[in-house]
Amino acid sequence: MMEKSEAQTSDSKRDFLKLILGGGFLAWIGAVLYPIAAYLKPPKQNEVEVSSVKVGLLKDIEKDSGQIVKFGNKPVILVRTAAGDVRAFSAVCTHLECTVTYRKDFGMIWCACHNGKYDLNGRNVSGPPPRPLDELRVTIQGEEVSIFKKS
Amino acid sequence: MKQKYILRGCVLMVLVLCTGRLFAADQCIACHAGVVGDKPSALFKHDIHFAKRISCADCHGGNPKAEEMEAAMNPKQGFKGVPKGDAISQVCARCHSDSTKMKTYGAALPTNQWGNLQTSAHGKLSTTGKEHIAQCITCHNAHGIVSVKNPASPVYPLNVVKTCSKCHANAAFMRTYNPSLPIDQAEKYRTSVHGALNAKGDPKPAVCSSCHGSHDIRTSKDAKSSVYPVNMPVTCSKCHSDAQYMAKYRIPTNQYDKFAKSVHGVALLRKHDVGAPSCNSCHGNHGATPPGVESVSKVCGTCHALNADLFSASPHKKAFDDRKLPECETCHSNHEIVTATDTLLGVAPEAVCSRCHQESQNPKGYAIAKTMRQLNDSLALSGSVATALVNEAEQKGMEVTEAKFKLRDARQAHLQMRTMVHAFNEDKFREVINKGMAAASFAKVEAKDAIDEYYFRRIGLGVSTLIITILSIALFLYIRRIEKKQV
Amino acid sequence: MKNTFKKIYAWVDERLELQDLIKFMAKKYVPVHSHSIWYYFGGVSLFLFIIQVVTGILLLMYYKGSEGLAFESIQFIMSKVAFGWLIRSVHSWTANLFILTAMIHMFSVYFEKAYRKPRELTWLSGMLMLFLLLGFGFTGYLLPWNELAFFATKVGTEISGAVPVIGKPIMEFMRGGDDVTGATLSRLFGFHVAVLPGIFTVLLGLHLLLVQRQGMSEPSHYTDQPERERKTMPFFPNFFLRDVLFWLVVLNLIAILAVFFPWELGVKADPFASAPAGIKPEWYFLFMFQTLKYIPAKVWFIDGEVLGILAFGLAGMLWMMVPFWDRKSSRGEQNRFINYIGLFVVMFIIVLTIVGWLA
Repeated sequence: MMEKSEAQTSDSKRDFLKLILGGGFLAWIGAVLYPIAAYLKPPKQNEVEVSSVKVGLLKDIEKDSGQIVKFGNKPVILVRTAAGDVRAFSAVCTHLECTVTYRKDFGMIWCACHNGKYDLNGRNVSGPPPRPLDELRVTIQGEEVSIFKKS
Repeated sequence: MKQKYILRGCVLMVLVLCTGRLFAADQCIACHAGVVGDKPSALFKHDIHFAKRISCADCHGGNPKAEEMEAAMNPKQGFKGVPKGDAISQVCARCHSDSTKMKTYGAALPTNQWGNLQTSAHGKLSTTGKEHIAQCITCHNAHGIVSVKNPASPVYPLNVVKTCSKCHANAAFMRTYNPSLPIDQAEKYRTSVHGALNAKGDPKPAVCSSCHGSHDIRTSKDAKSSVYPVNMPVTCSKCHSDAQYMAKYRIPTNQYDKFAKSVHGVALLRKHDVGAPSCNSCHGNHGATPPGVESVSKVCGTCHALNADLFSASPHKKAFDDRKLPECETCHSNHEIVTATDTLLGVAPEAVCSRCHQESQNPKGYAIAKTMRQLNDSLALSGSVATALVNEAEQKGMEVTEAKFKLRDARQAHLQMRTMVHAFNEDKFREVINKGMAAASFAKVEAKDAIDEYYFRRIGLGVSTLIITILSIALFLYIRRIEKKQV
Repeated sequence: MKNTFKKIYAWVDERLELQDLIKFMAKKYVPVHSHSIWYYFGGVSLFLFIIQVVTGILLLMYYKGSEGLAFESIQFIMSKVAFGWLIRSVHSWTANLFILTAMIHMFSVYFEKAYRKPRELTWLSGMLMLFLLLGFGFTGYLLPWNELAFFATKVGTEISGAVPVIGKPIMEFMRGGDDVTGATLSRLFGFHVAVLPGIFTVLLGLHLLLVQRQGMSEPSHYTDQPERERKTMPFFPNFFLRDVLFWLVVLNLIAILAVFFPWELGVKADPFASAPAGIKPEWYFLFMFQTLKYIPAKVWFIDGEVLGILAFGLAGMLWMMVPFWDRKSSRGEQNRFINYIGLFVVMFIIVLTIVGWLA
C-alpha cells in the first residue's frame, strides 16, 4: 500500500516535471522562433535608403519649377530651370537649416525663414546664408530622372 | 666797409669749413632763387628741410659749393637732376628711414614711413608698371614741405580730404587703377557729420587718414586694413570711445562696448563673420551719419529683409510713423541688439509689447499680444518635449532618424514664427504655429513608440529569461532524478 | 498520438537503424573527475557555431556587401527590420564569445594533454578551426563598413604586408588591390560567408567524428586512479542534458548582452578621412598587436615588425605541432615543461591583452 502510494506520487511528480520540461521547451521554441519569423517578415520600407533616388519622368517635371524630394532622411530640392536643365541641391538652408523652396517669381531658391536666396547653381546670392547649397548629381536615363549623392 | 665784408666773409668761410656746408654758401639757392627765380627754390625757402639746413644737393646731387653751373650740376659730381618714380621716395627714405640721421637733425619723427608705404596699396600697386602709385611727394609736396601740425601742410587734417581727392575724385586717373572704384568719397564725406565739422574748421573729426591710415593704407578687403569689417569697430572706437576726445560733441562714448555685446558684435568681433554688420554697415562710411527714424528700418531691412517687409505691411507701420517711433530700434534697441528671444513677445514685464499695449488703455492689443505669446510658448514647449523624447529614445540606443527629420520641421516653424511675428497678425502667426505643432506631435509619437520599443525589448528579454530559467531548473531537476535512479 | 510518434520512429528506425546509434551513445561514457568542467567548452562552442550559422543566414537576407550599401543596409537591419537589432547584436556578441570558448577549449585540451596519441588529428583539426575563427572575426569585422572597422582592417592587412617576399602578395590578395576599398569588402564578404564556413564545416565534421570515434580523453590524473575508483557518467542522457543546460544559460547570457549592450554601428567609413585616434583591433588580436608595438623598430638587421610576425608564426606552428614533439606525454609520463610553456603563453596573452586594452 505504502509502496504503491509512493510510486504514485513519484509518478505524478514525474509527470509534472515532464510537463514543465515539455511546456518550457515549447515556450522556448516560441521565444526563439518568434523574433526570427518577425525578422523574416518584409519590413514596411522594403529597401535600404541609399545613395540614389528615382524622382520620376522628365516630362512630368515642369520647366521653371522646383520640388522637394525625400532623400534618405534629408530633403533635396530638384529644380528645373526655365531653359529645361534639371538640377538637385540639398534643401537644407546653410544658415539655420530650414528647408528651402523654389520661388517662381524670383527664379531662385528661397528660404522662408530669413529670406535667404540662392541662384539656380546653389550659390548663396543674398540674405544670411553663409555658403552655397550642396549639390547632388542628376542623371536622366531615357526619361527617368534620378538623383545621386556626389561622391 | 669792404674790409668788414671780407672779414665777415672770412668768418663765414671758416664756419662753412667747420660745419661742412652752410645755406648761405649754397650756390643752388643762390642761383635758382636769385638768378633764375624758379618756383621750387622759392617754395623751398619755407621748407622745414631748408630750416634744418638741408641742401638742394642732398636730394638732387651735384656740388652746391661750385659756383659754375657746369661744375655744380655735373653728373660726375653726382648730380641727379629731378628724381623720377620710386627714386623720389628712396631719396626721402635715405634720411627718414634712418633714426640716427634723424636724431642729428633733432627730429623725433618715426622712421617707418617708407616701410609702411611699401606694404600699402599705394606702395605695392602700380598703374604704369614703372613706378608705384604714390611717392612721398604725392601727399607731402616736393618743395615747401612743412610739419603735419602746420595748417599749411597738405596733410594737415583740414587739408587731407582735398589732398586725397586729388586722385580719388579723379575718374580718369582712378580708372587706370581700378575702373570700378567709386570716386565720390569726398563728396559723400562733405555730407557726413565728420565732413560738416571739418568744413567748419574743426581738425578733430575724422578725415580720410583717421580711418584708412596714412602711410600704411591697405584696401578694405585686406584683413590687415584698419577698415576691414572686423577691424572697423576698433578703428571707429579710437575716437568714439575716448570720452575726453569726444567731450566737446556731447554724444555717448559707449557704442563700442554696447556693440561688442550685441549679436552683431559677437558675430563680427568674436566669430570673425565678415557678413555681420560693422559700424559702417548702418552709419555709412564716407557719409557717416546716424540713420534717422525714417531710414532705420531700411538700414536693418537690407539684411533682415523679410522682417522689414512684414513690418511694413503690418498695422504697426502706421502707428509707429504717427508716433515718430523708429521701427526696429523701438523693440530691439540699436547698438546693443541682443539675440531676439521669445521673451520679447507678450505682456510680461520683460516683454516689449506691453510698453504700448497696456491692459487698461489697449485691451485688444494686450489680448492679442498675450495670445501670441501663449501660442509661441506652447510651440516651444511641444518642441522641447519632442526633442527630449527623441533624445531619450536616442540615448536608449533606438533609431529615431524619422522623428529627427520631423523635429527639423518643428524647429523651422519656431524660426519662421519669430519672423512671422513681425506681421503682427494673429491668423498668419497661428498658421505657422500649427505647422510646427503638427511636426512636433508627430516627432513625439515616433519617439514615444521608440521608447516603448525599448521597454518592449526588456520585457521580451524578461519573458525569455523566465522561460529559459524555468526550463533550466526543470532540466536540472530532471538530470538529478535520472542520476538518482541510475545509482 | 503516442502511437503515431511510435509509428514514425519505427519507420525511420527501420531505414536508418537508429537503435544502433542509441546503443552506441548509451555505451559512451564520459569520465568524471575534478576537471570535468572543461569537457563542456567544446560542446558550447558547437552551440555557438550553430547560433552563428542561423543568425548569419538571417543577416544575409538584408545585408548588402558593397561599399555604397553595406553601412546603410546594417543601419536598415538595426532600425527598420523587426528584431534586426537582436539578430545583429546576437551575431556580434556570439562571435566574440565563440572565440573565447574556443580558446578556453583549446587551452583545457592543452593542459590536460588531451592531444596525446591517438588524438593528434583531433587537435590539429581543432587548431585549424581556431585559426579559421580568427579569420571569421577579421573578415566579419569589416562588413559593417564603419570607420573603426575600416581602419582596423587597413592596419591589419598592412601588418601582414610587412612579411618579406610573401607578405605583399598576401596583402594585395586580401585587399583585392593596393588599398582597402570596396573590392576588399566584397572579397572579405565572400570569405566570411562562403569560403570560411565551407572549410570550417568540413573540419568540424572531422573533429566531431573523431571525438565520437575515440571518446573523451582521459587525463593521466584520472587514469592513475585504480580502475574501480574511476567515476563515469553516460554520454546520453546525463552528459548531453548537462550540455543542453549549459547551452541554455549561455543563450540567455547572449540575449541579455544583446539587449543591454547592443552592438554599436558607429559612423560610416570614409576612405579619405584621417584615421581616428586609438585604432585597435578586436580583443583577440590585441595581444599580438600590442607585442608588435613593443618590439624595437630594428632588431639586429631585421625589421622589428617582420621579426614579430615571424615569431608569432613560428610560435603558432610549434603550438599546433605539440602532439608531435611532446613525446613524453604521449608515453604517459609527466611533462611539466609543457605546463610551464602553457602557463607562460596564457599569462602572456592575458597581460598583453589587458595592457593593450588600457593603452
